[in-house]
Amino acid sequence: MGGIWGPLALALVAIVLPAAAARVLRRLGRTSLLLSLPIAISLLVNLFFFPGGHQVLLRLGPVTATAEGLAFALEILVRIMAIAGAITLFYLTTRPHDFVVDLERRGISPRAAFVANASVQTVPAMVERAGQITAAQRARGLDTEGSVWRRARGILPLVGPVILGSIAEVEERTMALEARGFTRPGRRTLLWSPPDSGRERLARWALVVALLVVVVARLAGWTA
Amino acid sequence: MLTLASVSYRYAGATRPSLRDVTLELADGEVLGVVGASEAGKSTLCLVASGLAPRTIGGTLVGRVLLDGEDTAGRPMHAVATEVAIGFQNPGTQLSGVATTVYEEVAFGPMNLGVPRPEVLRRTETALDALAIGELASRDPDRLSGGQQQLVAIAGLLALAPRHLVLDEPTAQLDPAGTRLVSVAIGRLAAAGTSILLAEQKTDLLAAVCGRVVALADGGIVMEGAAGTLLADPRLAELGVAPPSAVRLEHAARSVSAAAAASVARSIGAVGE
Amino acid sequence: MTDFLALEDVVHVYRETGVRALDGVTLRIGAGELVAIIGQNGSGKSTLVRHLDGLLRPTSGRVLLDGRDIGSMSVARLARVVGLVFQDPDRQIFAGSVRAEVEYGPRNLGMRGDRLRDAVAGALDAVGLEGEAKSNPYDLGASRRKLLALASILAMQTPALVLDEPTTGQDARGVERIRRVVQAAHAVGRTVIGISHDMRFVAETFERVVVMRTGRIIADGTPDEVYAAAGWETLASTFLEPPLAARVGAHLGLGATPTEERLLGALRNAAQ
Repeated sequence: MGGIWGPLALALVAIVLPAAAARVLRRLGRTSLLLSLPIAISLLVNLFFFPGGHQVLLRLGPVTATAEGLAFALEILVRIMAIAGAITLFYLTTRPHDFVVDLERRGISPRAAFVANASVQTVPAMVERAGQITAAQRARGLDTEGSVWRRARGILPLVGPVILGSIAEVEERTMALEARGFTRPGRRTLLWSPPDSGRERLARWALVVALLVVVVARLAGWTA
Repeated sequence: MLTLASVSYRYAGATRPSLRDVTLELADGEVLGVVGASEAGKSTLCLVASGLAPRTIGGTLVGRVLLDGEDTAGRPMHAVATEVAIGFQNPGTQLSGVATTVYEEVAFGPMNLGVPRPEVLRRTETALDALAIGELASRDPDRLSGGQQQLVAIAGLLALAPRHLVLDEPTAQLDPAGTRLVSVAIGRLAAAGTSILLAEQKTDLLAAVCGRVVALADGGIVMEGAAGTLLADPRLAELGVAPPSAVRLEHAARSVSAAAAASVARSIGAVGE
Repeated sequence: MTDFLALEDVVHVYRETGVRALDGVTLRIGAGELVAIIGQNGSGKSTLVRHLDGLLRPTSGRVLLDGRDIGSMSVARLARVVGLVFQDPDRQIFAGSVRAEVEYGPRNLGMRGDRLRDAVAGALDAVGLEGEAKSNPYDLGASRRKLLALASILAMQTPALVLDEPTTGQDARGVERIRRVVQAAHAVGRTVIGISHDMRFVAETFERVVVMRTGRIIADGTPDEVYAAAGWETLASTFLEPPLAARVGAHLGLGATPTEERLLGALRNAAQ
C-alpha cells in the first residue's frame, strides 16, 4: 500500500492552496465536516479490525487497536479527504451557468446546455410552487398536523398539482421556446465565454501532466 | 403582410374546430385588435398566426397562412419565428429559464438563430430601447414584477426582428401597475410602426392603440371594422365582451338624456381615458 | 356584538426574507360583511388574508375569531370557518374529474352522502360548471379552472369566504358570474372578503373597501368614501385609480358616484 505523504502533498497543492486563493477555504472546511461521521466509522473499523495488525496500541475488551490499523486508517482518511475536497472545491468555485456556457463553447449541443441550465434554475420555482400548493390544500382542510396515517392520505393532493401543473406548464414553455427559434438545428451564437488566461491554461495543462506522471510513477512501483 | 385565408383549425384530440373559416389580414405597420369571450378562439387565432399551430402543438389546419402572399405551409417553426413572433399571458413561463440577466434573456432569440454576435448585441440593445427597459438589463429576470417580466418577454420577441408581433392577452395576469407599463409599451411600439395582432379582454387598451378590430365568437369572425366604431357597437356586449369604460358610460348616460350623454362624453375627454 | 373576524395590531415578518409584510394591522370584520381589500402588489393583501385561516401566524399581535384568539387552532379546524380561494387554480387541482375536485374540501370537513352531493351540485351550479361534472379539469380552459377552484371552496359552505383576485383572466361573463356568486353568498349571510385590483368590480360588488399600502391600512370605508375625490390621493399613493364613473361624477360635480348606476342616478337627479 502507499503512504499518506503523497496524497497529503497533493491535497495541499491542488486543494488547500487553490481554496485559500479563491477564499473558500472556510466553506471547504465546513463542508468537509459533513463527512465526519463516515470518516469516524471508517477510522474506528480500520483501527480495530485491520487484519495483519501486530503492534498493539490499545486493548478495549475483545477488540484491539493496532499501529498497522492506524496507518491504514490514516491513508484511507487522507484519500477520502482529497477526493471529497477536490469535488467540493469544484462545486464551490464554479457557477453552474458559466460551466454550461463553457461546455457549449467546447461543443455540447445547445439542447443539452439548455437542459443543464434550466434544471438548476427550476428548483427554486418548484420549491415555491410546492409551498403554495400545500397552503391551498390546507385551506381545503388537508390535515398536515395530525397523525401519520392521516397525513399519508394527503400525498396525492400535494403531489398531484405539482405534476399536473408542471405538465401544463411544459406545453406553454415549449411553445414560448419554439417561438423564439429554439428548434433551429446547429450551433447558436454565444454571447460570452467565461474569462480564461494563458496562465490558467498553463496551470490546467500542468495539472494534467502531473496526473499522468503520478499514475505512471505509481504503476512503476513508487510508493510514498 | 400576414394573411389568414379561410383558416379552420382543430386541436389534436378535439372533436370540434376551434377556428372556423377565418380570413383576415394584418398589414405591415398595422395594429389589429381581436376581441371575444373566453374560448371564442382568440388564443387559437394567435397560435395559428404565429405558426405554432400546427407545427409545435399538432392539430389539423385547413386553409392557408400567407406571408407577403407566400404560403408558409412547408416552413419549419424556427423559420416562421423570425417573421411572426408571439407573446403569451403568463409572464413567467415565457422566460427561457436559462438567463441570469435580462440582457441574456432578450438575446436568447437571436442567439438561437445563429445570428453573428455583433448583430445579436445590436438587436438586443434595440429591443431594450424600444421597450425602455435598458435600466433592467443586468437584473435577474426571475426577480422582476409581472409587468416588468412581460416587457422583457416582448423585448425578447422584438429581438427576433419579426415582421409581425402577435400578443395574446399580455395584460391578463397583471395588476394595474403592470397593465399600465405594458399598455404604454405597446402604445409606443404601435406609434413606431410595429405590426401587432393584439388579442385582449381590456377593450380600453384596444381603443387606445388599435386601428382595426375583429370580434370572434365560437371560432369565427362575426364583426370587424375600425376600432372606434366596432368598440362602440352595442352588439359587443351580447358577444360577452365588455366595451371600453368610456363607451359604456356614454351609452348608459344616453338612457337619461342626450344632454347627459354629451356632458359625460365631455367629462371623459377632460379626465382622460 | 362581537366582531366575527379581527386582526389586532398584527405584524408579520417573513422569516426567509426579513420582509415586514404587515406593519401593525388592525381590522375588524362583522359577520355578513362584504369587504374588498385593495392595494398595489406587495402592500400586504395576500399576507393579511392568510392570517384569517391560520396559514400564516402573526409575528406579533392577535387574530381573533368570535373574540377568541385563533393562535391555538389548527388550519384544518379554521378551514371549516374560513374558505380561502387562491389566485392560481393550477396550484390546487389534482383530481381527475371536476366533481372529485369539488368534493375534496367538503369531504375533509366530514360531509357525506346527500349533504355532500347537494353541496357539490350547488357549488357547480353557482359557477356554471354543472354540465362538466365528469370532465377532466385540464380539459377546461384556464378561466373555467378558476371557476372550478371557486366552486371547490363554495362547496365547503364556510361562514366566511375569502377570494384572492377572483376576476383575473375572466371575460365579462365570468366577472358577472363571480359577482353573482358573491351576492348570493352575502344573501345567505356569509361574510365575503375579496382581494381585487379591478376597481369597477370592487365598486359594484362590495360594501366596504379597505385600502392597503406597504403593510398598513391607509383607508377603510364605503365605496362612496374611498372613491370620492377626497380619497384619490390616498389611492394614487398605492398606485390605484378610481373607476371612471367616480372620476366623471366628480368632474361634473355630482358627488360620490363610484359606480355607473350611481352616476346615472345622479345624472337623473341633476336633470330634474
